[in-house]
Amino acid sequence: MTPDKIEIDYDHIDVAQIMDQIKAKTAAEAGSEAPSVRTEAAAVPELDLTAGLGKARRLLLKIMSPFSPLIKLLVLPVDEELRQTVLLLDHANRRIDRLEKERRRIDRLQEYTKLLHHLSHNMVVEMSKLKIEEETLKTKTRILEKDFEWLGKREKALEEEVLK
Amino acid sequence: MKLALVVQRYGLEINGGAELHCRWVAEHLKQYAEVEVLTTKAADYITWRNSYTQDEEEVNGIRVRRFPVARVRDPKRFGRLQEWLLHHEHRESDELRWLDEEGPRAPALIQYIRDRKTAYDYFLFFSYRYYHSYWGVKTLPRQSVLVPTAERDPVIGFRIFQDLFRAPRAIVYNSVEERKMINDVSGNQDVLGDIVGVGTELPGRTSGEDFRRRRNVSGPYILYLGRIDENKGCHKLFDYFLRFKRETGSEVKLVLAGTTVIQIPSHPHILYFGFLGDEEKFNALDGAELLVMPSFYESLSMVTLEAWALGKPVLANALCDVLKGQCRRSNGGLYYETYPEFREALALLLSSSRLRRALGENGRRYFEANYSWDVIEKKYLTLLGELEKERSG
Repeated sequence: MTPDKIEIDYDHIDVAQIMDQIKAKTAAEAGSEAPSVRTEAAAVPELDLTAGLGKARRLLLKIMSPFSPLIKLLVLPVDEELRQTVLLLDHANRRIDRLEKERRRIDRLQEYTKLLHHLSHNMVVEMSKLKIEEETLKTKTRILEKDFEWLGKREKALEEEVLK
Repeated sequence: MKLALVVQRYGLEINGGAELHCRWVAEHLKQYAEVEVLTTKAADYITWRNSYTQDEEEVNGIRVRRFPVARVRDPKRFGRLQEWLLHHEHRESDELRWLDEEGPRAPALIQYIRDRKTAYDYFLFFSYRYYHSYWGVKTLPRQSVLVPTAERDPVIGFRIFQDLFRAPRAIVYNSVEERKMINDVSGNQDVLGDIVGVGTELPGRTSGEDFRRRRNVSGPYILYLGRIDENKGCHKLFDYFLRFKRETGSEVKLVLAGTTVIQIPSHPHILYFGFLGDEEKFNALDGAELLVMPSFYESLSMVTLEAWALGKPVLANALCDVLKGQCRRSNGGLYYETYPEFREALALLLSSSRLRRALGENGRRYFEANYSWDVIEKKYLTLLGELEKERSG
């Protein structure tokens, strides 16, 4: 759940609790920042050329049929141009689709890089902390070794004392 | 009771860190005991070059004895040696060489302590990592009280310091985190100690308006006080602040005060005013929305306490465990580890004056309960009283 609003009890301010909410909010944002590309496809009305042929249309076609060779002759250049345009549009549409796909891939890659950057930053911080921790532990080990050595010597001395 | 406070530098001109801490403690303890300060003639902490000429002087009613630094520090050579020691197996003698290189090497000061041990009841050594503390505590362990002012710095793991932390009669810590770190490093839980810290000298009256008028600052601003340095996290602060401005379009300004050793980004909303005197510093704090503390290493952070003393909230770097711990214990400030946390915390603080007031009030209560001079003086006196009891018993 993403806490959009930080809830604060002003009478009993608890910094740890506020920080937990801030952390949860930033973590949720980091998770949801992945590209949510909405493909809002434009609702293109489909044209059904065979539908709606009414009686009148059929009659009109019948009357015009003797002239159809002439009409075709006149319309042919326009038709050719139209076909070329449709072809071009189709080509452009396909290109746009390809580019859209590519853009989504790049967005994902960018997000992934951001996460990697974040991860490496955190790792550097953690490594620094671990280095200090390691030094501390090394030191503790040395102290224990010294104490152990000293106890050994003491034990020997006591043994000698007892065996005298 | 006669006390000697031993510190690497001392003077009214020295305005920060363990030196100021020492001066304030000396000035507050003088009403309960005869107090003297033993220090060097250095004023510059990079080279420790002798600057003060007099051997003895009075500073705010405290007798100060100054001893010459026998050899100035070569920062490059020292840096190389430290780097090598931190990354290679080495012997204790190498660490002692490091201590010599670090300085301030003042053998006359140590000789004085040795010769005059009966003239003082206790020697309070400030800053564990310098020559005077190490050799001073080693010279008179049974009369020594160490005030380490230790940060989470890798050199604390050096072998020479394990013995140092186990040697004195008592240790005065600055914070819970510092005590834990030193206990972990040296296993010195048996050494008498208390978490004391230091108070601050508050002016009778503060006026943010005076500061705004004098420096021509308008609109809300957040304040950074202290040395402007990479080690203090200032690079990150600039980066985060500029990103915050870009992303939120906020009108807030960043006001910086202190000496600088790095380039400050040129931006109309980043205002740098150099070093401020005490009066103006408190006025600047009074006018600020909050104090920002981006430092990675702090032993106590006196400016944080000063902000709380004035009832101002703090936004601190959580990667510094002392600052984070203080914020959580006091409920007087928020903290951040990453940029998104910085953005959210700052936006939240700037958007809610009620939250700022509540955090500031918590901070002020925390300061009064733990860091007012009455409390600090009482803690010192209790600790010294216990030592006296041990000695007479």
